[in-house]
Amino acid sequence: MSALRTSAAPVALPAQRDRSGSRRTVPQRLGRSLTPWLFLAPALIFFGVFKFWPSIWGVYLSLFHVQPYLGDQWLGAANFTRTLDDPDLQAAVWHTVLDAFVQVAGSMLVGFVLALLLEGPARHLRILRTAVFLPAVIAMVAVAELWHALLFPGRYGAVNSLLGDVGLGPLPFLASPNSSLWTIMLVQIWKHAPYDMVIFIAGLVGIDRELYEQCSIDGANAWQRLWNVTLPALRPITTIVLILGLIRGLRVFTEIYVLTGGGPGGSTESIVTYVYRNVVVNNDIGYAAAISALLLAATILLTAVTLWWRRHRENA
Amino acid sequence: MAFTAARHRVTAAVAAAICVGSALAACSSGSGNGGTPAADASGALKVWARAANDSPKAFQAIYDAFTQKTGIKIEPFFTLTDFETKLTAAAAAHDLPDLVVDDAAQLGNFKTQGIIRAVDKGKLAGADQLAPGSWASASDLSGKTYAIPFSAQANLLFIRKDWLTRLGLSEPKTWDDVTAVAKAFTTQDPDGNGKADTYGLDVPGSTTRGYISWYWSTFFWQAGGEYFKDAGNGKFTATVNSPPGKQSLKWFEGMYCGSPKVVQPSSLNDTTTETNKAFQTGVTGMYFTGPYAYATMDGSAVKGKYEVIAPPPGPGGAKTLAEGTNIYLMQGQRPNAAQKLAEFMITQEAQNLGMTKVPSATIVRLPVNTSVDAASAHKSDDRWTLAQQVYKDQGHYEPVNMPNWTALRQASSDALNAVIAKCGDSDAALDQLNDKLNTLLKQQGVAAG
Repeated sequence: MSALRTSAAPVALPAQRDRSGSRRTVPQRLGRSLTPWLFLAPALIFFGVFKFWPSIWGVYLSLFHVQPYLGDQWLGAANFTRTLDDPDLQAAVWHTVLDAFVQVAGSMLVGFVLALLLEGPARHLRILRTAVFLPAVIAMVAVAELWHALLFPGRYGAVNSLLGDVGLGPLPFLASPNSSLWTIMLVQIWKHAPYDMVIFIAGLVGIDRELYEQCSIDGANAWQRLWNVTLPALRPITTIVLILGLIRGLRVFTEIYVLTGGGPGGSTESIVTYVYRNVVVNNDIGYAAAISALLLAATILLTAVTLWWRRHRENA
Repeated sequence: MAFTAARHRVTAAVAAAICVGSALAACSSGSGNGGTPAADASGALKVWARAANDSPKAFQAIYDAFTQKTGIKIEPFFTLTDFETKLTAAAAAHDLPDLVVDDAAQLGNFKTQGIIRAVDKGKLAGADQLAPGSWASASDLSGKTYAIPFSAQANLLFIRKDWLTRLGLSEPKTWDDVTAVAKAFTTQDPDGNGKADTYGLDVPGSTTRGYISWYWSTFFWQAGGEYFKDAGNGKFTATVNSPPGKQSLKWFEGMYCGSPKVVQPSSLNDTTTETNKAFQTGVTGMYFTGPYAYATMDGSAVKGKYEVIAPPPGPGGAKTLAEGTNIYLMQGQRPNAAQKLAEFMITQEAQNLGMTKVPSATIVRLPVNTSVDAASAHKSDDRWTLAQQVYKDQGHYEPVNMPNWTALRQASSDALNAVIAKCGDSDAALDQLNDKLNTLLKQQGVAAG
């Protein structure tokens, strides 16, 4: 197993040579250190203007009762304390966490199984992979509209017709508060699993074939090879898929907005749809900003903890 | 080295996380109070109207006539979906249009945001030509005017005539009839295709824009309910849980939760976009909606197959949801030109253009100008006579004069949608809603006691 850990560890970076190497003039050194920043500049400026600045501004607004035409009122931490005593927000947080967990786990599981099934250089596999990947490249709004039509809750909705043929249903899907969130999760898994599959396939390709052969010689069966070779080797990849999935999960908006608008009976309200409602329905921009700021903090924390945990495991 | 790499990864992850936080972007602050500028800024007059399909053409006809008369150019913007959302974003960016045409129900919402100007009726040319009643949904509780009425309407019952005929039923005259017809439409295969794929009642039951309570209001008032009781001195008490209120919600919930369920099953997530489609495609057979839907329905396969009747009265009398469309003068940079356009939009000429210029889009439903008559403008279509009559006899407005009616309506919608989704105790839900409305009244500064 130690051989495996080595192969999975980050490759050492060839930076040492430069430091001990030839002497350079000051302008040369300056040029060398500036070059990467120049290449990064367009993206940094873009992110700065459209991502970082609005985020900082949002945190600032969370301290006010925002009224663009009447003048903002300073509230201090009142918007934040209000979040502690808001049952609608608490319900939204629960829906979001549940949704993030189930859809990330579901997408990863389905994506992983698809990757195992569809990995390989054969031509028919490439065609299949492309077909399976299609949901990942379709815009979420289109996906949601499509499923909205397919999942019509009457007996003659497309999906319910099929279920009726095998003696099931009709199921209410998005129309009942008992099944609406689970239905959204299924749509999310359908959309995101192929993306996870591609990442897993990339990971599978990187596994040294000799390891499988060695295992086989040692008498390992397929399940043991999966457990002892494939899964440990995919650990770094899993981290990426997990982090991307969780971030995606916490900011879930589009599919919910299109499929249910947060209903019925608030059963699919997520944090971001709740933020949106507070901005556009209640005109409560300050409160919405406070929730967004907390979401940002939670996401950063979650990401940092995940990274720390993975590193801790890898170094152990 | 490992530390550096790890730090870079954390930095990247933090950067990714910050992207999440920008869910709330493009919000601006500032403390401008948008006082009226002495002179208009230059450039085109920015005019927004909540309109879709062919309605923009009808608005454009009015704008063109105005530009021809005054030389003032107009930069129009039309959308039906998320109109107020976009307006809120424009307000946050301090880039409001100069004039907005939107539902009267938004009056309090706009006023509390401080994005509309008060209207001086005395200085508004043509104000005296408008029906006195039309001003009712253009003013706040103190009677101060904040908008100019542009059009009015009341909901009617659209019903599949061919389905009634096939099942040997007559037009509903009472609530019981409505229930009976809805059941028959759901269970007796009124379209004769051999499938149980039709439903009796078409309801936009989503909470978006407060749709479900907006729709239910007709039944609420028909039972004899009122949202608020005037306690004098501009103070109010919520009365949504009165016996008539409870009776109407029980009846309404029965449509969803009884046996058979007679409302289209996707209702609780549906807005009018979906319900229009449901009626047009023969999924539903009865639909309470406004006369603007004549054009919408006639442009689809149900043309000639449906009829329009006065909403059957309930136990508390004949009432139906009446609504106005208002012209709002915004805190824009061209107040004088905006007022000129508003003055033109209420003239006989513009009101006629809005009614008949584009047959598929009647942006002026019932005119507010007393010198114009909808029935005679639409000579060939006697449904307009009915629309006028029902508006006059049964029309009941939402309490749009409350400091922020949209917030109160949203709370009502959330409560209705939630209880019906669970097929729960409607009486208890109304008791809770009543408390919630009283809390909101207090927040809006108009609670009695």
